[in-house]
Amino acid sequence: MSDLTKIAEIADEAARTGTAIAQFSDKEVLTLDEAYAVQALSMQRRYARGEKRIGIKMGFTSRAKMVQMGLDEMIWGRLTDAMREEDGGVISFKKYVHPRVEPEIAFLMRKPLSGNVTVFEAMDAVAAVAPAMEVIDSRYDNFKFDLGDVVADNSSSSGFVIGNWCAPDSDISNLGLVMSINGKASQIGSTAAILGNPARSLVAAARMVASAGECLNEGDIVLAGGATAASAMAVGDSVVTDFQDLGTVSFTVGE
Amino acid sequence: MVDQNIQKSADMLWDAWNTNKPTTPIRELLGETDVEAAYAVQEINTKRWLEQGRRLSGRKIGLTSKAVQTQLGVDQPDYGMLFSDMDIPDGEEISFATCHQPKVEAEIAFVMGKDMDDPDVTTTEVMASIEYALPAIEVVGSRVADWNIRITDTIADNASSGLYVLGQTPVKIGDFDPRLCGMVLFNRGEPVSVGAGAACLGSPINSTLWLARVMAKAGRPLKAGDVVLSGALGPMAAVTPGEVYEARIQGLGSVRAAFSAE
Repeated sequence: MSDLTKIAEIADEAARTGTAIAQFSDKEVLTLDEAYAVQALSMQRRYARGEKRIGIKMGFTSRAKMVQMGLDEMIWGRLTDAMREEDGGVISFKKYVHPRVEPEIAFLMRKPLSGNVTVFEAMDAVAAVAPAMEVIDSRYDNFKFDLGDVVADNSSSSGFVIGNWCAPDSDISNLGLVMSINGKASQIGSTAAILGNPARSLVAAARMVASAGECLNEGDIVLAGGATAASAMAVGDSVVTDFQDLGTVSFTVGE
Repeated sequence: MVDQNIQKSADMLWDAWNTNKPTTPIRELLGETDVEAAYAVQEINTKRWLEQGRRLSGRKIGLTSKAVQTQLGVDQPDYGMLFSDMDIPDGEEISFATCHQPKVEAEIAFVMGKDMDDPDVTTTEVMASIEYALPAIEVVGSRVADWNIRITDTIADNASSGLYVLGQTPVKIGDFDPRLCGMVLFNRGEPVSVGAGAACLGSPINSTLWLARVMAKAGRPLKAGDVVLSGALGPMAAVTPGEVYEARIQGLGSVRAAFSAE
């Protein structure tokens, strides 16, 4: 256990200071259970510094990505208030190691949700849906990691921006989207890439937090997973994603 | 010499089409860059088909994605002819064996309401000329062995066209978002290709404008009633015999291409 505590400290320091570290799997591969334990321990350090958990993010929600990583299960990580960036605001590049951005769908919970639930039960617990972008940032050198590494690193979550909240009964199953960097289309896709329908990601989120003894709470945000591949960005970039029916979400990259 | 090679290329593709035995790349005769010669090859076979009694039903636009253009080293799309016998009803079984190395792409089909004879046509005129839009699946094929194609090979080969399936829910141009409409192509409930309108030259309207201008110049202008397959909204997907592919385009509806097991 002390080992996991030590690993959690290294992972947390890398995230806190925006510094790249070597993969843990170079020395010793973490099992999935160990990796989630490391993630929980590193989050405890964040909470001790005053950060609040305000939701979770899902990862590896595209079949293509799962196949590419040789996985058959999604991963998840925790979101804190310190990771939240303003829609239309400026994000600080130096907070991150090598940030990338991807378009997402966000859910806002209106009541608790946990365990094995149906799509209907999951969507019934949603207060609103929104267009969103996640800034993912692996703390490992060259964005290289194995499954245990990435889960220990809070599943690469590091920042997110949420646009206007829309009605919870909006049809989000197949919304087209264009993520532009400096006006040029960088990623084009559809929310259908998220498990065929992002609602399925919320079902998975309820199941996965339950396995950690946690719950999606009223007011929590759930990021459903990337709808396209992630794009690299640089200081000075303007990043804008237009979603069919849901509107636009944007930020610029500052020093 | 060039004329001979154009005729010879047309003959190779004609034989490959009729015998369903793919040919070696015709770029070995035409080179990799002479787009004009490649269209001359296409035109020879178009004329042969029209003489045989095939009826033109529209056009297809190919190479509308940045990624595919980069792959083939070109900076513009290409076009091919659609004939009425390529039109397969929604969900009707397609004989896999008679296709030429089929792959599927989800697209928006525009049905033209007016003739478009003016090579200087504008975006608004194109939009005003579209009667309605339909979801579509294009079954592309290649008469060149193993899809070993460069730009001249595909243009000469009628832009790798094969068959097409149209959905049956016409939508007016102002009633959906051509740029932002989401597209997913399902096989057995799994998304095998995902995209949006913008993947097609920024918008399928952009590719259709390009086509209308080019066809008017080339002397085969779009006519009222023509179907325009405006270009893929996501990556093309491989076809497995016996499988059904369903394209869903948000705001436009859905359409199915079903393949026989043999």
